[in-house]
Amino acid sequence: MRTGRSPARSALIHLILILASFAMLYPILWMVSGSVRPQDELFGTASLWPSSVDLSAYVRGWTGLQVSFGQFFWNSLVISVLATIGNVVGCSLAAFAFARLKFGGRNFWFALMLGTLMLPYHVVLIPQYILFLELGWVNTPLPLIVPKYLATDAFFIFLMVQFFRGIPRELDEAAVMDGCSPWRIYWKIMLPLSLPVLATAAIFSFIWTWDDFFGPLIYLNDINTYTVQLGLRSFVDSSGASDWSALFAMSNLSLVPIFIFFIFFQRLLIEGIATTGMKR
Amino acid sequence: MTPSMNRRSILKAGAAALSLAALGAPGLALAQEQRLRFLWWGSQERADRTNRALEAYKAAAPQTQIVGEFAGWSDYWPRLATQVAGRNAPDLIQMDYRYIFEYARRGALLPLDEYLGQTLKIEDFGAANIDSGRVDGKLYGINLGVNSSSIAFDAAAWEGTGATPPTPETTWEEFAEAATTFGENKPKPGYYASADAGGVEPAFELWLRQNGKALYTPEGGLGYEPADAAKWFALWADMRERGACVPPDIQALDQLNIETNALTTGKAATAFMHSNQFVGYQALNKAKLTLGPYPKGAKDGPSGHYLKPSMLLSLSAATGGADAAVAFANFLVADIAGAKAIGIERGVPASQAIREALTPELNEVDTAMVDYIALITPGVGPLPAAPPSGAGEIQFVQKRVNEEVGFGQITPEQAGETLHSEASAILQRG
Amino acid sequence: MTMQSVATDLGGANAPAGAVPGAARRAWARNGPAYLFLLPWLIGFFGLTLGPALASLYLSFTNYDLIRSPDWVGAANYVRIATADPKFAAAMKVTFLYVVLSVPLKLAFALLVAMAFNRGLKGLPVYRAIFYLPSLLGASVAIAVLWRQLFASDGLVNMVLWQLFGIEGPSWISNPNYSLYTLVILSVWQFGSPMIIFLAGLRQIPTDMYEAAEIDGASKARQFWKITLPLLTPVIFFNAVIQTIDAFKAFTPAFIISEGTGGPINSTLFYTLYLYQEAFGFFRMGYASALAWILVVIIAAFTAFSFLSAKYWVHYDD
Repeated sequence: MRTGRSPARSALIHLILILASFAMLYPILWMVSGSVRPQDELFGTASLWPSSVDLSAYVRGWTGLQVSFGQFFWNSLVISVLATIGNVVGCSLAAFAFARLKFGGRNFWFALMLGTLMLPYHVVLIPQYILFLELGWVNTPLPLIVPKYLATDAFFIFLMVQFFRGIPRELDEAAVMDGCSPWRIYWKIMLPLSLPVLATAAIFSFIWTWDDFFGPLIYLNDINTYTVQLGLRSFVDSSGASDWSALFAMSNLSLVPIFIFFIFFQRLLIEGIATTGMKR
Repeated sequence: MTPSMNRRSILKAGAAALSLAALGAPGLALAQEQRLRFLWWGSQERADRTNRALEAYKAAAPQTQIVGEFAGWSDYWPRLATQVAGRNAPDLIQMDYRYIFEYARRGALLPLDEYLGQTLKIEDFGAANIDSGRVDGKLYGINLGVNSSSIAFDAAAWEGTGATPPTPETTWEEFAEAATTFGENKPKPGYYASADAGGVEPAFELWLRQNGKALYTPEGGLGYEPADAAKWFALWADMRERGACVPPDIQALDQLNIETNALTTGKAATAFMHSNQFVGYQALNKAKLTLGPYPKGAKDGPSGHYLKPSMLLSLSAATGGADAAVAFANFLVADIAGAKAIGIERGVPASQAIREALTPELNEVDTAMVDYIALITPGVGPLPAAPPSGAGEIQFVQKRVNEEVGFGQITPEQAGETLHSEASAILQRG
Repeated sequence: MTMQSVATDLGGANAPAGAVPGAARRAWARNGPAYLFLLPWLIGFFGLTLGPALASLYLSFTNYDLIRSPDWVGAANYVRIATADPKFAAAMKVTFLYVVLSVPLKLAFALLVAMAFNRGLKGLPVYRAIFYLPSLLGASVAIAVLWRQLFASDGLVNMVLWQLFGIEGPSWISNPNYSLYTLVILSVWQFGSPMIIFLAGLRQIPTDMYEAAEIDGASKARQFWKITLPLLTPVIFFNAVIQTIDAFKAFTPAFIISEGTGGPINSTLFYTLYLYQEAFGFFRMGYASALAWILVVIIAAFTAFSFLSAKYWVHYDD
């Protein structure tokens, strides 16, 4: 950490950050206010202050659907945790090969891997659905979890490749001299030194899986297997009667797990290098 | 479309092992039971009512197990399309009046004519309400509720400005006059008498019918001339100019649903909507709303209204349990126990007997919808000609063209030409 | 440590090196371990990704309405897109504008904030968490409602403009001249992901390099240009490529204003939204697939160009 600037400048930076924080926090405040105000003033006013406060939307939201919202939290948690582990494991293996190992066809595979990022999801949706139907995976969470272990999200491979390449090569060259296998280099050198990017990947996979809506919509049909996002959408039907207050109440609650996850993993992100003390 | 057989079986074995560890997913049900899937769109209120009906049906027909699935309107269609495309369609499908043509003509739905009068006892719906489920002569959908275009307005707001609120006898001219008065005395800036319905297809359709025209001819062509459309766009251009309806940048925020309508967002005192949405509108509006028919073309002219299904119940062409599915459908629409469970939440029941049986249980808002259907029924016209293939796209063109007039990019005359030519091109493409 | 160290052409169009015939064992020794590491990805690619992608390529040469079997029509879909589809042109225009505006702004903002956060300041974890909040929200229904209210004629933005500058603003979000820009602002506001990646990249720069520079008497600005920026180029490159791909595929923001119709007057008709309308709204999956593959070619061209240019400005340590 580099420190040593004047208190005045530090105060100014804080002031700017606090003002900016308000711009970042405003939607949350608005959502909290939206969850406690009467539903009939939700869409007509831009003000933050509710005319009256009523917490019943939280009770209604938690228990109002035929399945308790706790079940949705549990389902989302299981899927997100398993998907996160899958992404980190599957993608770091592939990324290590691309970043550090020399092999025939490397550029070819890498280009193909990037290519998988480019095709819009909506046109592969139906072939993919048929594939998972053939496998008997529809109406189970498997289509949302198993592909992550097979490193199908090229974003994370590319991300890790970029960071692995930033790790000094002398380290693994020395290890090769000592007769280390690629596996040991991956496990003993790469992963420990890559804590920031692994934490980054974990944060993104967890949050994106948690927020994902289209995948669960297509693959999970039974309300007992619904994720939080599907549960949230169940409060609202644009063609008829909806419970908007409950939607806002549960939206607020649904932010809590991912926020906690973020807080926890961002510490890894920041502390990672500092503790390993990479110097050369 | 699928990878080689070997890989598939390998993955399948792995999947079976993994799925044991998966969440409490009841999928992978390999048991051979008479199990039907029923997919509908709607909110939790509808789900609760439907689940009550499913419970009641379990007692009536224990040999049939019906599993319900639901999603909100906009999520429903991609989910249904994916399942149909994957040859995994639900047995019972809640259908919309617009989409039924798309699905039935492509062979995704089962014709129900052979059940009519046998296990499907809906004769007392009346011919019009049965025929509204027909596509090209065959019955593909069972009417789940009767519906019509309508307006909902805040009568107190109208009266507060000294303007006369719309009545069933009000003509478009009188409506525009009163709305102008409203605009001159409006209680707050940015508040108008009416939403801008120039881009709303059902409104255009009703207006055409009042003038002896239609959206489509029975032969599948357009039922109006460019000049007719130009007159329609001019009507609304005039309204905007007089401050009688919301300006274009307010109207552009209307996504043709309840929560974004100018009435709900507090920008207008009148909305153009479907009568079965009245419950939803009242829930999101502080003011007490009144439900009424559209303004008329002429005092002694036709109202233009017709009764259409708020939604329909269809069977998948691929269902393995058609008899059981029809029996359940009949339970929902013709059996007092089933009908009581679903209430009038999906729309006003087409059967007079069911309607009367439900009347004692209705609240004020429900009653308003039932009364509205009763009010307009004597004056309704015949069902319009079926929309030709591809017609679903035209409503977006109309919305866009009305915006182009509103933002001053084209004149109403040009708008009439544009709509007519683009709509013709879409129909030609099919 | 110089900027001139040449980046390898990873991901370029180089053909795979052929195996030496009759030297299977040596080939295995050279390639085997790498392919073992790649094995999960290879299974996923061939088992899950490739099949559906090829299927969509095939469908792009057919009329496919999701329900009936696809009909082979040759290149008719592509011909129509190229010659008789005004909505294609409109969607392209919207999408390119969105890419060109949102990507640089978002990256610059994310880098700026990451730099600010990469110093010893009290309460940083709190700020970091707060600044990431908008990105946590994703494209939720609540964001849609909020954004419409912020940028409406009587929204917060206009209230501020009126109070501070006496300007009476229009309804930004629903005016076809401005609506796309409100979505660009949304994209920039959700800058959390590239910010975190920048932050991780900044943490990876060895501190002793700054210490050495300090001893040499290099100014902070000089340190930024000579140390921070060069060492951060792999991460900048990554963010630029990924954000560009994402912006080309932008889909969910379109639902905020128009619930997916692309209005007002096609001003928010994103390319993938148009494709989605064709596929699921109008039952033209074949046509939508053709649109998708055209997008793939465009994105691939951009990406290939980025990789070629990377030789000249991205610094790798290997």
